[in-house]
Amino acid sequence: MHKCECEQPLVPVIVEVVDIKDETPDIKSFFVKNPGGQGLPFNVAPGQCAMVSYLPVGESMISCTWQEEQEYLQFAIKRVGLMTDELHQIEVGQKIGLRGPYGNGFPVEACKGKDMLFIAGGIGLAPLRSFIKYCFKHREDYGKIKIIYGSRSYADLCFKEELFELWPQQKNTEVFVTIDSAEEVWKGHVGFVPSYLEELNPSPNGVVAVTCGPPIMIKFVLGSLEKMGYTDEQVITTLEMRMKCGIGKCGRCNIGSEYICLDGPVFYLSQLRDLPQEW
Amino acid sequence: MKVLSKAKLETALNKLNQGAEVFLPMQKAQESGFYSWKLFQQGQDELMLDALNVYLPPKHVVLPQTERMYSIKLEGQDMKIEQTFEDASPRVIFGARPCDIKAILCMDEVFLTRGYEDSFYKCRREAITIVANACYQPGPACFCNAMEVNPVEPAGADIIIRDAGEAYVWETKTPKGEALTSQIAEFLEEKSLALPVAQPFIQDVKYEGTAEKLKKMFADHIWAKLGEACHNCGICTYVCPSCYCFDIQVKMWGDEGYRFRCWDSCMYEEYSREAGGGNPRGDGIERFRNRFLHKLEFFKERYGTPLCTGCGRCIVACPAGINIVKIIDEIKEAELHA
Ligand SMILES: Cc1cc2nc3c(=O)[nH]c(=O)nc-3n(C[C@H](O)[C@H](O)[C@H](O)COP(=O)(O)OP(=O)(O)OC[C@H]3O[C@@H](n4cnc5c(N)ncnc54)[C@H](O)[C@@H]3O)c2cc1C
Ligand code: SF4
Ligand code: SF4
Ligand code: FES
Repeated sequence: MHKCECEQPLVPVIVEVVDIKDETPDIKSFFVKNPGGQGLPFNVAPGQCAMVSYLPVGESMISCTWQEEQEYLQFAIKRVGLMTDELHQIEVGQKIGLRGPYGNGFPVEACKGKDMLFIAGGIGLAPLRSFIKYCFKHREDYGKIKIIYGSRSYADLCFKEELFELWPQQKNTEVFVTIDSAEEVWKGHVGFVPSYLEELNPSPNGVVAVTCGPPIMIKFVLGSLEKMGYTDEQVITTLEMRMKCGIGKCGRCNIGSEYICLDGPVFYLSQLRDLPQEW
Repeated sequence: MKVLSKAKLETALNKLNQGAEVFLPMQKAQESGFYSWKLFQQGQDELMLDALNVYLPPKHVVLPQTERMYSIKLEGQDMKIEQTFEDASPRVIFGARPCDIKAILCMDEVFLTRGYEDSFYKCRREAITIVANACYQPGPACFCNAMEVNPVEPAGADIIIRDAGEAYVWETKTPKGEALTSQIAEFLEEKSLALPVAQPFIQDVKYEGTAEKLKKMFADHIWAKLGEACHNCGICTYVCPSCYCFDIQVKMWGDEGYRFRCWDSCMYEEYSREAGGGNPRGDGIERFRNRFLHKLEFFKERYGTPLCTGCGRCIVACPAGINIVKIIDEIKEAELHA
């Protein structure tokens, strides 16, 4: 039994799912707060994550895609395996486990005064969204905002209302959306994110680029940015490795001597260049 | 000096056993390792305090092979964690060798520093007293002296014993050690005995500079050659006193169950396999490389000391003849390709 006063970083707190929203056929947003609806178990900074747990099945590291003050924590979760399948079955009112916040988060302070370029693919928009929404909330602190986002199909585009209605209305903001292959319903751009990025060719002057998506997309985007003249200090990405503990103990999420769960998941490209090429 | 006569050892252990679970090296049937004194069977088992390294190290005392973490209870849409299972019952590791204690110090770094203290580890660890058995006669596989371990004056011990023939010279180092010493004060005598003379190491291993050189060798072809024979069987991680990687899993019976953690091995494919099948270390050689880099480079970079303590166990246990000493040699000799 636990007799001492020490903290228990590996033991989740119980939270209540107060709302669930279908984002795409295989991504749902889960809104959680303390059971009974009183506040949040902890605060999460943009880019930080939490271990979301359907207790009898497992735990998964998930980026907190948005914290609305003391109202809710939002997680956008793609159905890919044991735990996430189970979560997609639950209904509002369900209690689940949560521990965190984990990871370093985005350097929101260091980016102040800069123009921002966000480049995401698929569920990779979920972590970037916390930074994007932070910029809108502190609009005067950031310059121009460009968002380039792509998914396999129109149906697979996440956060559609924001993409097509809310974000383009924001001051000094442009949103560019693409899908992998043509569809009848889709009148917009068709093609992969990295080639769309090169087509748009946004100038690197005074810009910080932030990217997240499938590993293959990240690789090509980083290559494109380099070609376009972005330096390694101007590029930020978030990495993903399999995780268990989330606190730098269990060993598995290392790249070289860094643990993605603790020292990441957010890195400047210049930091990654010093690490073994395992990402 | 205080000494504990070998003739009184078993009575002293019986006494210690009343206040704590005492783990010490013994041979049990085909196996040797650190077992509870309670399980010692006179006439069948053999105490192995004289042996250098028993097959299995005492790491399970600080990090059990499986350990319950917390209970889980489901009631409709409700989920409850009613109990957590930190275990602070007193334990003694008696007769641990300096390399195995260094391994525990490495785990202390992992579990107790860098932002988070692991409550399960911390509670157990604080209730553990370590009695070190200083080494004067290194074995054929030993190379702790090359791995920042002092075999004669081990760090991390609460008490150090030294084999002086008929008795162990008994030196108390910490308040925890004093508490233990006072429990068996009646068995200790004042006597002047000659200390053993430290013998030279049989293997000559030169680790210095390896970590720095390895930093330039991640992409080197040498790994394919070094790891060619490795089956990724994981026995090296199992017998290693400092391999601490763990998995977290769950066990349910209907609506009740618990979450537990258990040892894991970086040698296994599932260790880093992601949902959807991706794996940054999908290839056996990549896992082999990660293990040896973790031991010899990454841990040193992060915590300032290597994660290999020179105990030699993996050299003895490996079915493929992989030898970490030879690996260090080959790395030191390798030419760097630009
Ligand atoms: C820093 C970080 C942020 C993430 N953010 C999101 C997000 O916002 N939305 C989202 O949908 N997904 C996110 N993921 C991926 C998500 O963690 C995995 O998809 C999820 O763990 C799969 O769990 P599963 O049990 O359904 O799959 P299974 O394949 O059944 O996985 C079994 C176990 O493997 C582990 N695991 C498998 N794949 C991964 C993986 N890619 N990363 C970490 N652990 C894994 C989990 O611990 C899981 O319990 C993130 C991952 C990381 C590392
Ligand atoms: S014991 Fe030998 S064969 Fe087995 S995983 Fe370790 S190095 Fe490879
Ligand atoms: S790597 Fe081998 S020699 Fe080094 S501490 Fe582990 S088992 Fe002992
Ligand atoms: S998830 Fe355990 S070390 Fe990162």
